[in-house]
Amino acid sequence: MAITQRSATVAVPVGAAPRGARRLPWFRREALEGIGLLTPTALILFGLVLYPFFYAIWLAFTDKAVGSPGSFVGLANFRYVLGAPQFSAALVNTAVLTVSAVAIKFVLGMAVAVVLNQQIRGRNFFRAFLLLPWVMPAFVVYLVWRWLYDPLSGLINYALLDLGLIGSPIAFLSDRSTAMASVIVAHCWRAFPFFAISFLAGMQTIPQEMYDAAQVDGAARWQQFRHITLPSLYHIIGVVLMLSTIWTANAFEPVYLLTGGGPSDATVVYTLLAYQMGMVNMRLGEAAAVSMLFLPLLVGLILVVTSLLQRRAH
Amino acid sequence: MARPAIRHTRREFLKTSAALAAGAGATLPFAAPAVGQRPKLVYWCYQFLKSSDDARMNFAQEWAKKNNVDLQVTLVPLKEFLPKITAAIEAKATPDIVESNAVELRGRGQLLDVTDIYQKLEKTYGGWVGNAHKFMLEPDRRVHHIMFGFQGFMLMTRDDLIREAGLTPPPATWVDMLAYAKKAQKLPRVFGLGIPVSNQTDSQVWEDMMKSYGARLADGAGKRVILGDHKKEVWEFLDYFTDVWKSGVLPPGVTTWDNTMNNSTFQSGKVVFILNPITLSLWLEENNPELLAKTGHYTYPRGPKELVHPVTFGSRAILKYTKVPELAKQFLWDSMEPGKMDREYSVSQWGPVLKAYLPFDVWKKKPFMKGLVEMSLRGEPQGWPDVFNDAWREQFTNTTISRMLQRLVVDNWSRDKAFVETLDTLNRIYAKYA
Repeated sequence: MAITQRSATVAVPVGAAPRGARRLPWFRREALEGIGLLTPTALILFGLVLYPFFYAIWLAFTDKAVGSPGSFVGLANFRYVLGAPQFSAALVNTAVLTVSAVAIKFVLGMAVAVVLNQQIRGRNFFRAFLLLPWVMPAFVVYLVWRWLYDPLSGLINYALLDLGLIGSPIAFLSDRSTAMASVIVAHCWRAFPFFAISFLAGMQTIPQEMYDAAQVDGAARWQQFRHITLPSLYHIIGVVLMLSTIWTANAFEPVYLLTGGGPSDATVVYTLLAYQMGMVNMRLGEAAAVSMLFLPLLVGLILVVTSLLQRRAH
Repeated sequence: MARPAIRHTRREFLKTSAALAAGAGATLPFAAPAVGQRPKLVYWCYQFLKSSDDARMNFAQEWAKKNNVDLQVTLVPLKEFLPKITAAIEAKATPDIVESNAVELRGRGQLLDVTDIYQKLEKTYGGWVGNAHKFMLEPDRRVHHIMFGFQGFMLMTRDDLIREAGLTPPPATWVDMLAYAKKAQKLPRVFGLGIPVSNQTDSQVWEDMMKSYGARLADGAGKRVILGDHKKEVWEFLDYFTDVWKSGVLPPGVTTWDNTMNNSTFQSGKVVFILNPITLSLWLEENNPELLAKTGHYTYPRGPKELVHPVTFGSRAILKYTKVPELAKQFLWDSMEPGKMDREYSVSQWGPVLKAYLPFDVWKKKPFMKGLVEMSLRGEPQGWPDVFNDAWREQFTNTTISRMLQRLVVDNWSRDKAFVETLDTLNRIYAKYA
């Protein structure tokens, strides 16, 4: 009886090689095939992900400036960046922006998804309309918001003054107490459709029978949402939250275009600090050090989000 | 009758393709020799005022046609120049010629030596105007960029409102300017001063004001920070700034204004004074001549110690990586020809840099252009009376002095605390270049 050795993909009959041919043992052949198949992917991964990543780490330890090769300076860049007055502000602001914006986008996105999952008139129109802020170029969106917030000619102040709700214009972007909140509002407006569309797509895969059964058991709307909708979406929520955490923490346009990090350092985030050091001051080593210092924060945020959700999902 | 379908084997198909490819390859050098021989030149043109940009672009295209050059022109706004050129240098995809005040590239050894062009221009066109040589000549007498125009901030005023308030423009000192602003403004529609106090470089006019009170950032060599020795002068300046802030002459929002907001606020008639280049006047000339007629153009007011009115410039430079250095130098030379510059100055914000340009009619035709000539004749390099070097430039782009002011009015820090932070920032920056 022929004995077959089963691999993950194909069954290879042992000892079936033609007579006279030098054949490697099956496990060596399979290993070589595997290596051959993985090599292109590994090369692409190395070229596009690992090389830039490790190059950025290397840069952080050099005094690399534009046009110069740079030499090893140890921890000098890290000392310089940690001593910069804007660094601690950037750390706090990045965390505040990320956590609050992701939370708001989650609530808003979920609420809109629930509404658009109902049988309402014009549902398809609203679903398409929902994507509008997300597909608009960031540049346009934030310039429009900048104008809306403007204390001299902005629509929001104009409306509030006209309604008699305020006595004098509010400098939303220029007051420390309102600047970050204003940036978060503008950012959430642009980015929440991603949450809504993702959740909506997930909701449409939940079988209607589950809701019917719950109704028979007397479950209220909130209980249906709490015990059917939400658990069914855990995996989607996990992916969306992880992506959004990465994107929000790396967001550059909202702060650059709305406030330039000001007033003072009220809205400076780490991407802006890295941009200032790398692209304006032309000191790439310092910019890389900023990014390296923020890496643990980003990884930490992502780990917290994913582990919490995985625990819930299981 | 239907024709039977002709079927080709894969081998036949490959053979035919190979033959066609070989044939095309063999004939290509004969088919397009002209395209292959035309030298290519990539030119990054400074983008700011459309009429000026168009004039320089048109010249470049005509020049390319005349010299049979394959020219690629890209308009690059000043704000985007550094990020773009940084990326281009790192990607080894640099343009041949750039228009900017290219000092940061010179400091990093990225530019081609153009001392020969500098000397030839000086000799042919009667010498350089004012302090132009200080902007170009390096300590070793070498030159890496050729200036084509002075540019600088001027005090622009709503003379109609000032006269309405019973005053005579221009104010002689910064203190006078505040007094004028308070009296001439018409709140809540028209504010006194449209000067940013933000993290954008236009806010650094406050540094010029501070220096007119006698303060200096660094020593004469531009190496050691000495602002700490000028605490008394800084405090006097901060007294003045506090008066400005408390008097309500600054519009709400100045702490996050970008470099366009002072322009747009003046254009919409909402401020009495701004400090701006005459690009605004050229815009008004075309779009709002009534407002231009009410606008005065003056040199900066004086401080208690001196008048500090540094100017900046536009220049062309050649990247050292160019494959066509002689052609690029030819472009630099041709682009300074007086006839061409006469046409260009009449639609631009630039002041004259060569003495052969001084007799142009344009300086007499428009009243606000007279100010440009005066500024070109007297203007000191950016940073003056401090030394313009990489350290100064970095503290400038970091808006160090404006940040100190924001600490006072946004964060409510004490003067001492804000001053200590500013000193620390300056020391850290200057130490990197010492």
